[in-house]
Amino acid sequence: MKVLENAPDEQLLIAAAQRDPALFAELYENNFDRVYAFIARRVPSRQDAEDLTAEVFHEALRNLARFEWQGVPFAAWLLGIAGNRLADRWRRAGKHQGVPANDLDEAGTEAKIEENLMLFQLVDDLPSDQRLVICRRFLEQRSLREVARELGRSEGAIKQLQFRALQNLRTRMRSRHV
Amino acid sequence: MSKTSVIDQIDEGIEVLLSRADGEVPVSDPEVTELLALAAELRALPRPDFKAELKADLLEETMSIANTPSAGGNLMTTTMTTAIAKRGRHITSLRPEILPTLAGSEYGLYPVQRSSFMASLVAHAAMLALLVTSGIWAAPNFHEKPRIHSVLVTDLSSYVLPPAPDRAGGGGGGGDSDILQASKGNPPRFSREQIAPPAIIVRSEQPKLPAEPTVVGPPALTFPQTSPIGDPFARVLGPLSNGTGTGGGIGNGDRGGVGPGTGPGVGDGSRGGIGGGPFLPGGGVTAPHLIYDPEPEYSEEARKQKYQGVVVLQVVVGDDGRPRDVRIVRSVGLGLDEKAQEAVRTWRFAPGTMNGRPVAVLVNIQVNFRLY
Repeated sequence: MKVLENAPDEQLLIAAAQRDPALFAELYENNFDRVYAFIARRVPSRQDAEDLTAEVFHEALRNLARFEWQGVPFAAWLLGIAGNRLADRWRRAGKHQGVPANDLDEAGTEAKIEENLMLFQLVDDLPSDQRLVICRRFLEQRSLREVARELGRSEGAIKQLQFRALQNLRTRMRSRHV
Repeated sequence: MSKTSVIDQIDEGIEVLLSRADGEVPVSDPEVTELLALAAELRALPRPDFKAELKADLLEETMSIANTPSAGGNLMTTTMTTAIAKRGRHITSLRPEILPTLAGSEYGLYPVQRSSFMASLVAHAAMLALLVTSGIWAAPNFHEKPRIHSVLVTDLSSYVLPPAPDRAGGGGGGGDSDILQASKGNPPRFSREQIAPPAIIVRSEQPKLPAEPTVVGPPALTFPQTSPIGDPFARVLGPLSNGTGTGGGIGNGDRGGVGPGTGPGVGDGSRGGIGGGPFLPGGGVTAPHLIYDPEPEYSEEARKQKYQGVVVLQVVVGDDGRPRDVRIVRSVGLGLDEKAQEAVRTWRFAPGTMNGRPVAVLVNIQVNFRLY
C-alpha cells in the first residue's frame, strides 16, 4: 500500500492525535479520499457512501486511544472499520447488493482504490472550465443543458469540455502509471 | 469514427451512467469504452462540501473528547521527545529540548512527569492555603468601623398615641380689646375645628348662625365645664371680661383662642392646642418624618476605648421641618453626645401636622453607637 511511504511520520502523528484529539484532523485529511473511494465502490449511492464514510471516521476517532502501532498503516485500520461497517450494512439489508464480502481482500480492488484516489486528485488539477463541467455533471448530476445555461455556453461546447476533461484525466492517469 | 460522434457517444454513455445504477454501457469503440470507464469512476467523486462538513463534525467531537478526563489515557509516551508540527507542517527530527512547551509548539507530546505534577500540586495548595488564611494575618490590623444607627423614637405615623392628659403643646389667645384683663375660668370644649370663638361676654345675643364656642385642640382633652368659661391663666376672677387681646376669644392674645398666645388654642403658644411650646404627637398631631438624616461621626475617644452606647435626644421639629432646641435626654459621654447633637441639627424633616397644617412637634431621637 502506497500510504506506507511516510510510516514513521504517521506513527508520530497517531501518537500526537492520541494525546491531542484535535490533531486527528491531520489523519482525516490524509485518509479521507482513500476511505471514501473504498466505500464508494461498494455502495450504490453517493448518500450511502457519505453516511458510511462519516461512520468510519467517527468510530476511528472514538477508538483512537486504543489504536496500537504494529507497523500497519493507519489507512488499513480505517479500511478495516469500513469493511466491518459495510458487512454490517449488508447483513442488515439481507443481501450483498452485488458486492462480494470477500472482495475487501482482493489485490485488484486495492489497486482500483488507488486508481480512484488518483483520479479524484487529478480532477482537482484539471483546467478550471473542465473541472467545473466534471463537477456539475458528476457531482451534481446536472444535464448538459443546465450546465450550458449556467456557464452561458452552447451544449456542444459543454460536450467538448466534458470530452477533453475525460481525455485529460486518461492521459494523466497513464502518465502516473508509467 | 469521427471525433464528433465519439463526443456524442461519450455524452450519451454518461447520461446512461448517471441515470442507471448498474452503469453498464454497451459500446464497441475502445476509446469510448475507456473514457466511459473513467466517467463511471467519477460518479463516486466525493463532494468537497461533504469532506469539509465531516471534518467540522469530527473537530467538534474532538472537543468533547478532549474535555473527557479519560481522554488520552492509553497513549504512547516513548516518542514524546519528538517534535510534531501543527497541520500544514512536517514532522521534524527527534531531539530533546529544554522547556519544549514554552513556545507552545509541542503540546500534546510533552510527557507529564509525576514528580513535577506533585510539585506543582503542592505549590498550588500552599498558595491556596495562604490566600484562605490571609484574613487571619490581617486581623491584628483590623480597623473597627463604627456602626451608628439612629431612630426617630417618636415616629408614630402608623398609629396615634393617646393624648397627653393635660398638655398637648401649642396654644392660642384672644380677646376683644376690652380694657380689663380676662377673668379666670376654664376654656370651652376642645374641637378639631373652631366655628365660633369662646367669649365670656357675648356681644351678639342673636347670632346669624348659632354654634357652640370651642377652642382647637385634641378633643380628648377635657376641662371641668362646671365653672364659668374663662382664661385658666388669668389672675382675676372678675369682673367678667373677654380680655385685652384681639381677634375674638378670651385673654390678651390674638386670633380667637384663650390666653396669651396666638391662634384658636389655649395658652402660650400658637395654632391651637394647649400648654404652650411645641406639640406632642398624638391626639390628631402627627409626628414629623425624617427625610434627610446623615449619620453622626464616632468620636475618636470612644473609638479608642471601644465604647458603645445609646444617646437619646429630645428635639423640637419646627413647622419648617428644621430641628431646634436639641436637648440630651440620655447621655453616654466620651464625646458621643456632642457628635449626636451635631448630626441631628443637620437633619431635615417633613413637619408634623395638626388638622393638615404643619406645626412644631417635640420628638425623641435615639442614636445607637456600635462598633463592629
